[in-house]
Amino acid sequence: MSESTTTLRAPAREVPLFSIRRVWTLAISTLTQLVRMKTFYFLFAFAVLLLAIGNFNFASSPAQALSTVKKVSFGAMDLFAWLFAIVATALLIPRDLEDRTLYTILSKPVRRIEYLLGKLCGVLIVIGISLSVMFVVCAGMIQWKEAGYIAEEIGTTENQITEETRQAILLIQKNGFHPELAIATLASFMKAAVVASVTILLSTFASSSLFTIIISVLVFLVGHAHTMATNFWLAESDNSIVVQMLLKLFKIVIPNFQIFSFSEGIVQGATVMPAAIWQMAGLTGAYLVVFMLLSLLTFVDKEF
Amino acid sequence: MSEPAVEVSNLTKVFSTGLSKNYVVAVDNLSFEVAAGEVYGLIGPNGSGKSTTMKVVLGLMAASKGSAKVFGYESGDIRARNEIGFLPENPYFYKHLSGEETLKFYGKLCGLKGSELKDRIAELLKLVDLEGAAKRRLGGYSKGMLQRIGLAQTLIQNPRLVILDEPTAGVDPVGSRQIRDLILKLKEDGYTVFLCSHLLEQVQEVCDRVGIIFKGRMRREGTLDELIRIESQTAMTLENASPELISKIHDLISSDDAAKVIEEGHPRTTLERLFIQIADQNRKEESA
Amino acid sequence: MKALFQKTPRWILVVLGLAIFGLARASFEDRMREEMVASSLLLPPPARDAIQQMSQSALMGTLGGLRTLVSSYLVLEAFGHFSNKEWEDLRRSYAIITSLEPRDENHWRDVVWHLGINATANMEIDESIPEFERKRRFNEYALLAVDLAEQGIEQNPESSIIRQQLAEVYREKLKDYCATARVYKELVDLPGAPQYSDRFVGYFLAKCPGREREAYDHLRRLYYEGEYNHTASLIVEIKNLEEKFDILPALRIPDPYPDLPGPAPRQP
Repeated sequence: MSESTTTLRAPAREVPLFSIRRVWTLAISTLTQLVRMKTFYFLFAFAVLLLAIGNFNFASSPAQALSTVKKVSFGAMDLFAWLFAIVATALLIPRDLEDRTLYTILSKPVRRIEYLLGKLCGVLIVIGISLSVMFVVCAGMIQWKEAGYIAEEIGTTENQITEETRQAILLIQKNGFHPELAIATLASFMKAAVVASVTILLSTFASSSLFTIIISVLVFLVGHAHTMATNFWLAESDNSIVVQMLLKLFKIVIPNFQIFSFSEGIVQGATVMPAAIWQMAGLTGAYLVVFMLLSLLTFVDKEF
Repeated sequence: MSEPAVEVSNLTKVFSTGLSKNYVVAVDNLSFEVAAGEVYGLIGPNGSGKSTTMKVVLGLMAASKGSAKVFGYESGDIRARNEIGFLPENPYFYKHLSGEETLKFYGKLCGLKGSELKDRIAELLKLVDLEGAAKRRLGGYSKGMLQRIGLAQTLIQNPRLVILDEPTAGVDPVGSRQIRDLILKLKEDGYTVFLCSHLLEQVQEVCDRVGIIFKGRMRREGTLDELIRIESQTAMTLENASPELISKIHDLISSDDAAKVIEEGHPRTTLERLFIQIADQNRKEESA
Repeated sequence: MKALFQKTPRWILVVLGLAIFGLARASFEDRMREEMVASSLLLPPPARDAIQQMSQSALMGTLGGLRTLVSSYLVLEAFGHFSNKEWEDLRRSYAIITSLEPRDENHWRDVVWHLGINATANMEIDESIPEFERKRRFNEYALLAVDLAEQGIEQNPESSIIRQQLAEVYREKLKDYCATARVYKELVDLPGAPQYSDRFVGYFLAKCPGREREAYDHLRRLYYEGEYNHTASLIVEIKNLEEKFDILPALRIPDPYPDLPGPAPRQP
């Protein structure tokens, strides 16, 4: 080849060592990916379920019917949130690796923690949007049913609201829509966020998505048995030292998902304590930080 | 003398296999440099350690021993990656993104934004001749188109060093030629290109210097001119020479006024022949 | 130190990190759990008996944080048992449902209604069952309903709907008016209690042998509390009791219908 006389290119512009913009770019890309995978089609299924349960006449009273609509819809929201958190998180990173998209991303000025955070944020944005939409649909459905039941009660009294009618209406209202249900949605989101961070940690070790999904679901289920383990098994006097030690190890290593199930209490009408919500938000944050750091510990040296 | 674009010193990469204590040495004490502005080709058969070397340079793998630097930065450093544009073998990008969105995504990762990013995307789409397919999703791109959008992606942040892993693998002859022309254009534009390939004819056409790697070790390295020269032979190129004249060429050359020596020097082999010769030599050494 | 860090397998470091975090959060999580259980935000674990009765899938669902979905499914199943008059199955379903969601008063109210009212009514009319067996089962279901209502009240001390249902079982099925009056008395000060509760205390005390005088005093006090209590039933009941105790005319409440012959006492 002949010697060229071209001018060499100038050094690249400096890049920040950590950039929220890069995390955001990766998060939005993950969101786009999940949207174009037609993830939001689930919302149609949810709407159908809600309509079916709303029109299923098996409850003994309007209050019970409303209570059931609330429980099933918020239960389905909770189920969607954690299941989606596991599946989406477990699929995304191995898929990037298989498709070698990871090579092109990590060969750009992107830190590995930025990549992990971007993926986590992307999944959480999808869950956040889905839960918000489902909450609005649910709230609409419950309020519509509630208004219908109240009108029915008033209709039977022929212009005079009796003591019994008033009681019935109060009971319907008690089991109907309350703004606190938004906190129940937030509780499901917090749980899903912790589940996603656990799944990310597992996926930095695992060799396949299937393995990550199975182990994550297992950890999630077992994470609900903290109190039962403490109450039943630790209390058994005939348990050997080894069993007791294993149970204690389980208690400190496996996240306690049970305490993140407080949406159930809210749906059933328990009073929301703002202090508890803030504390749970803090605990969620702690889980996210610790699990992301532990994921980084594995991912930073991972060779592709 | 400007700073080398890539500086690999005594690089060794060892992989352990499974749970046993067996090790595989993928790269063995490898050293070489890629000067700024040149096109350097690292060639070798499959499993020779080319891709591993490249991944260490990119920071996708850590060296077991030795080091790799890019414009003076350690290869794992984010500032090193800021100077690199990388095109992996058979690149797959997000199929759900269009060509334009893909460039936008990578541009944003490199810190570009606004009109600067928009202009750069337009410029690159023109460079790789994909302006017409900019809005199409990559799921519908041919292999050659994917390779070209990949090449555009490598250049998005105007890196000083472009690393290409088998840039023409699986691409048809027309696409292959387009990519080869693009590499030459990159050189003209002042980029440093470091490429791995086993398509020797192409390497011969575009590279200034070549390193031949076998079993993780550098066997030969130099400019193409140095590598393909045959020192024991001399060749002459004659004009208007009759067949008789050729047989008596050296005796007659001084007495025959009609014939004259146009060129005298070392005839060239091809890179391919040299490569096979080294491979044979390697095999003989091993069997001995 | 750096060399040791690099040589240590990552999984050991991760487990170590998890353990340190686990120890740090354990006491906080235990305290949070206790606070949230106390404020009904979290449900206590299902009773052991309920766990043993649950199918594997229901148990998995319960463990997996799907309690509300599992219980809603079981309510649906229980409704099927009610439609088919499968009272034993219904009882088993509700044993699990109330164990899964002990703080949902609707479940307790429903099981008391199903067993105390529907099952007993079925025993009154189902001729496919021998009479002696029907009587035995009638009592069994009514008493079981009372027992379940008491369990529900223990879990939901402020519940008025469980008490209303319990009072109905005592009143309509067991004809235990003393107990009926006691339940209405408990209801009086509870949130969501019907306004008639206090009047009903008096009506049923009047039917409780030996407590008629108490009933009279109670109803009289209500009468003088305000005009909103001057219902026909209350006045009739007071009049009956005035007759019974031969109260001096000056101490009697005014007669709202002086021109009419004494109205017949009305059942509340």
